Amino acid sequence: MSADRSQPRASRSAHWIGRNIGLLLVFAILASSVALYCAIYFAEQKTLPGNFELTSTVNNTMPLAMSALGQAIVILTRGIDLSVGGIMDFTNALAAVHMKADPVSMIVWTVLVLGAGALGGLLNGLLVGYGRLQPILVTLATLSIFQGVALRVLPEPGGAIPPGYTAALVNTDQPYALLYVLGAALLWTALRRTRIGVALYAIGNDEQSARAHGVDVVRTKVIAYTLSGMLAAAGGLCLAANATAGDATSGSGFTLTSIVAVVLGGVSLFGGRGNMIGALAGAFVTTMIVNILFFAHIDPLYQSFYEGLFLIVAVVLGAALGGLLKRGRA
Amino acid sequence: MSATEPTEEPTPTRAGGFRIGKDNWRIVYAFLAAILLFVTGEFVHPGFASLASVESILTIASFVGLAAAGQTFVILIGGIDLSSPWVLNGAAILMATSSLGQDARTPYALALTLGMGALAGATNGVGIAFFGAPAVVMTLAMNGIMEGLTLGASGGMTCASCASYAPPIVQAAVHGTFLGAPLALYLWLAVIVIVSFTLSFTRFGRNVYAIGNNSLASYLAGVNVRATTVILYMLSGIFSALAGIVLVGFGGQASLGMGNPYLFQSIAAVVIGGVYILGGRGHYLGTVAGAVSLVTLVSVLMSVNMPEYGRSIIYGVAILALLLLYGREQKEV
Repeated sequence: MSADRSQPRASRSAHWIGRNIGLLLVFAILASSVALYCAIYFAEQKTLPGNFELTSTVNNTMPLAMSALGQAIVILTRGIDLSVGGIMDFTNALAAVHMKADPVSMIVWTVLVLGAGALGGLLNGLLVGYGRLQPILVTLATLSIFQGVALRVLPEPGGAIPPGYTAALVNTDQPYALLYVLGAALLWTALRRTRIGVALYAIGNDEQSARAHGVDVVRTKVIAYTLSGMLAAAGGLCLAANATAGDATSGSGFTLTSIVAVVLGGVSLFGGRGNMIGALAGAFVTTMIVNILFFAHIDPLYQSFYEGLFLIVAVVLGAALGGLLKRGRA
Repeated sequence: MSATEPTEEPTPTRAGGFRIGKDNWRIVYAFLAAILLFVTGEFVHPGFASLASVESILTIASFVGLAAAGQTFVILIGGIDLSSPWVLNGAAILMATSSLGQDARTPYALALTLGMGALAGATNGVGIAFFGAPAVVMTLAMNGIMEGLTLGASGGMTCASCASYAPPIVQAAVHGTFLGAPLALYLWLAVIVIVSFTLSFTRFGRNVYAIGNNSLASYLAGVNVRATTVILYMLSGIFSALAGIVLVGFGGQASLGMGNPYLFQSIAAVVIGGVYILGGRGHYLGTVAGAVSLVTLVSVLMSVNMPEYGRSIIYGVAILALLLLYGREQKEV
């Protein structure tokens, strides 16, 4: 995007739109998918979706929303984290095996599980930062390691998550989980104004310039991967809380869906562009697509076909719109 | 060990030939690793390095090698093909269902299946080259599309023809032997020769390296970057389909999820063989060595009854160790 060069000639609002085209697009998609969902739901059930539908949608989205947020932070630095699914595998297994029904155990194990995820992310970060290895290869290798660890922790699906924990994390009566999403969005908004936040964008845009301007590239990458690991662990906790049990393989799919959510959220895979709130919205869009397909009586076997198709359309549309805007402003 | 440090500038003009440059040492290392693993295997499990055992390991490696051939093509231009698992799986199922296990229908089924692979791959290429979709996203989406189509069209493998076996002629082509060696290895050998020759000694092959090193410069020098990209992804789709055909010939029947292990393994084989993940450097021979050492590693671990979690962990650690040995980027500033 040549937004910076065309800034003097463009109005302030056009500039803002240009900078945030991805974010605007994902909220437009989210709004239209919600509208479509409501329309189909109304045609089917003769009533509008209510609290139950909202709550289950939010709860189903939580694991993806958390992992997509982490994935987005890494992608912002021009990296990629394929180990997200592996971390969710072993963290949800860990929680299901160890968590007891008393509040102390819940808090202690929440902290321990988040720490374990952060440790996994730290390993990625060290290998990418200090090892100077390609992110896609490092995280492909650690994905295999984490999946192995998950199978060691919980060889067969099982374990149990106390009902109190499920109620606290993904309450099935009210969409309280939205508070976590809101909290994550606020945290990000605060973080992006800090030194670290600026550094994340800087190394994603141009690593060498960032280094020349005094950004500690290695440290920033380590932080990005560690955050991604921790957020994936948060996703793993939500996954376990939703299932009220653990499964050492149930997280694996989130590697790919988290990338889908990030891309739908308008975060550039080439780094340095995008808003993490877009990734959260992208996660909700992904869930809405599943909901729409379900109520439209599409054979669930075809689900990934439509998801793939939708992803291509969204990416091509986003690129075309971005190009049009650029031409319009130039 | 100084030879392992990739401190040299990328040299695009390493025309043809297998002069042992720093990059080509990696191919040697990967082959040495495979031999070392065979020796280790013989120690922990006598008979591991017997001819029959080596033949079966190489046969299994050839499946990875076929899938990795396509991956090598696209990684050489700095791309990646995440759609291979379900193109492979879809191809295996299409091969069985369209041939209905009859030899007479085999040519038609082969053409249909390879055509499907070519179509999926070419679609990837068009999306990437003409619509500017990142390779990761485009091929990821294509993987989903193929998964959905495969599951949907086969009714989750419940269709009447889904129980079909691969035609006897295809099974024989994988299981049969010629001069004491499995026919699957001859197929792989042919692919190795053709792919290596194409990459090193043809104009198309040199264009691939040029694009991988600098696509803008290649474009300015008159290389048709878009067409080459589309052809490479198409080849990747065809090789995934070919791997699917060989696999269904090997196993007799197709199943859901049979392609999933091949994404990780094919990328790992490419990387172990010293092909640079950002493109422009590496040879298919390296990928071959990578596939052999990877499959041998798994076989050694299985011969000592290593549980799945242990294999998975060692797998990852081994790849990390190799990467740290020769996959590091230059230090900047």
